[in-house]
Amino acid sequence: MTLDLAQFHETFFAESNEALDSMEAALLKLSAGDADLELVNTIFRVAHSIKGGSATFGFSDVAAFTHTLETLLDQLRGGKRHVDSGLVDTLLRSGDMMREMLAATQAKQPIDKERVAALHAEIELIMSSSGAGGATPVKASAPAPVVLEEGDARSGWRIHFVPGPKLLRNGNDPLRLLRELATLAPCEVRADAKWVPPLRELDPEECRLSWRVEVNGAVEESALKSVFDWVDGECDLNLEAFGPAAGVPVATPVPAVVPVAAPVAAPVIAAAPAMPAEEPAAPAPKAAPAAAPSAPQAAAGDGGSIRVSIEKVDELLNSVGELVITQSVLSQLAAPLEGRDAEELRSALGQLERHMRALQESVMRVRMLPISVVFNRFPRLVRDLGQKLGKKIELRLTGDSTELDKTVLEKIGDPLVHLVRNAMDHGIEMPEARIAAGKSAHGVIELNAYHKGGNVVVEVIDDGGGLKRDKILAKARERGLVGPDEELSEERVYNLIFAPGFSTADVVSDVSGRGVGMDVVKRNINELGGHVQIHSTPGRGSVVRIRLPLTLAILDGQLARVGSEVYVVPIVSIVETIQARQEQVSSIAARAQVFRLRDDYLPIVRLYDLFGIEPQHTDLLDGLLMIVEADGKRVGLFVDELMSQQQVVIKSLETNFRPVLGLAGATMLGDGRVALILDIPGVITRFQSRETQRDPAQRAA
Amino acid sequence: MSPAPQPANGRVVLPANCTIHGARALQAHLLEQLELPGPCEIDGGSVQHVDTAGVQLVLAFALDCLERNLQYVWKSRSAALEEAIRVLNVGALLEYPA
Repeated sequence: MTLDLAQFHETFFAESNEALDSMEAALLKLSAGDADLELVNTIFRVAHSIKGGSATFGFSDVAAFTHTLETLLDQLRGGKRHVDSGLVDTLLRSGDMMREMLAATQAKQPIDKERVAALHAEIELIMSSSGAGGATPVKASAPAPVVLEEGDARSGWRIHFVPGPKLLRNGNDPLRLLRELATLAPCEVRADAKWVPPLRELDPEECRLSWRVEVNGAVEESALKSVFDWVDGECDLNLEAFGPAAGVPVATPVPAVVPVAAPVAAPVIAAAPAMPAEEPAAPAPKAAPAAAPSAPQAAAGDGGSIRVSIEKVDELLNSVGELVITQSVLSQLAAPLEGRDAEELRSALGQLERHMRALQESVMRVRMLPISVVFNRFPRLVRDLGQKLGKKIELRLTGDSTELDKTVLEKIGDPLVHLVRNAMDHGIEMPEARIAAGKSAHGVIELNAYHKGGNVVVEVIDDGGGLKRDKILAKARERGLVGPDEELSEERVYNLIFAPGFSTADVVSDVSGRGVGMDVVKRNINELGGHVQIHSTPGRGSVVRIRLPLTLAILDGQLARVGSEVYVVPIVSIVETIQARQEQVSSIAARAQVFRLRDDYLPIVRLYDLFGIEPQHTDLLDGLLMIVEADGKRVGLFVDELMSQQQVVIKSLETNFRPVLGLAGATMLGDGRVALILDIPGVITRFQSRETQRDPAQRAA
Repeated sequence: MSPAPQPANGRVVLPANCTIHGARALQAHLLEQLELPGPCEIDGGSVQHVDTAGVQLVLAFALDCLERNLQYVWKSRSAALEEAIRVLNVGALLEYPA
């Protein structure tokens, strides 16, 4: 049997990147002056795990670089080196380099060896220096240090480690694990060979040895567990603390942890080999014998998790969506029925509907991830950019456990980066200017996330100088975006910064100022079915508030009928719905009509005309006008009738048919009819494009 | 009193790469040696890479030798092999009892 380690590469890359995120977060806390040992240990463990994994998979460049980094971290951990901002900077860049090397390895691209060598040399140079430097020494934090002084050597852990049948095949090696354990504290290892069968019957890719290890030192449980991270579920592992660190007398060890363990096949060979296994000198701790590994037990406080591909979750979600539609069809069929049986049927269907909703929500929650996945990139960004701009900026994150659909999360990251960079570059003033304005020299940027009305709201708040209304308006007039005498509300003025290419920056920097970005921000948010608003107070700062749907799989829609067709209009796009009066409607040229809504004139989009269907009404006074907005543009959609509002399951037109401008997808209604879901920005673009095509003809006429 | 060592009939030469990747070939080699009569010599001097799977095979071989009363003697062990035996703590199990 050939061992194919490649099957584990993707997991290794994914887990390494997650580990590097933790390392970066810990490093950024170090830079804040909180150079405690627990943080250093966290950073060390990441480097150590990635080194071990890289070596196992043969990624020698990554392993070699990480090994050097680990040596430096070990100096830090051992108190031989002090923490200063320069060191943190180097460590942050080393984390970036590891990420880069892993990405290149994953993509089977060459690694930039020159840059790796330069950073490697920099680390070597640091290691060869004395390390004193008057900076923050590493201090022990509240948890017990990794290893106590010699006098406390009675504390420690007893480990019973029984490798499972797949451990070796999966590229793990007890030899490496035992070496790692020995780096934590002095270890006494006892091998147990009683389950090693005769050579002829031995599967050479299955480990039949087991070990009892006494770790002599008050090592943290998390440090021990991290050694076995890679074999979680592939071994039977029992940890028992002893001595003062365990809080119990040495003579009466009690199980401290029962980690999650996969069931290990019972040994096939019952007879012990002729050579007796080495027996421990002292009575064995009260652990489950290797011969009868215990059933899997959940670790206290550790719920455990599994990785599932997003495709599988989407398949599940899709099936649930189909069930919701079927249930809706059943409810409609049952509605006209009469009699006692019909009543009971409707009652059962009502119950089915409640269960379906619960099931749908549960499945959708599987796709949900905390927004911290996105927020976590900002401490580093704010630190680095703050240094570059010469500004002192504090970042405050709240609501980072707020959950959002994975796809929404993936797409909101870049817009948020744009907004934060803009706030740092244009919003927050230089320290001198802030002091002169009576503010603290430190600017503050807040990122908040919270649930509101079935949506998630994400806010980017800065306490800088605020948007300069007059400057924006002047620039917009200069560019012809606003007429010379046209007056705009505050909101519309601030919305101008989302116009393509719009910038009021006097100096174009590589941070911002080219006017590229804010329009993309708005477009990306709109594409997610979201909405962005800006509020600003001169001298006090700005708030950019983004409202996002919880998921892209379902949509809150308003059903509207046009002739015999039903359209779903996303509720997020609807401003209001009105019945037009004759005096509000004006005609422009031969065909185009506008509608006066208070101080604005809005184009009228006749859906029947746009999509070529037979309407019930053609007279504006007979139907309804839905005022919808997208990209700062408002139009009135002319429809025959409004129907109910409901959540609809979105089916992709692109996947099932082809993309159609103005349509975001389709859904099936309770009566089995297919309704098309409008994409309001697309509807406006389609309408404008038709009007432009008609104009020359009209002019010619 | 232990019997005086006899001259080796067989010779087990552990490969440079004594790991899971060459485990089946090493197992076959060790099984062949088990069938030979008389004492054998184990040469681990050229082992450069070794893992638990490699050590476990040699251990299974040693245990079988004991069961069959086949004497064996270690000719040499490389530093890599010594280190692995020490970390796994199977040194005592690999020695033929005096």
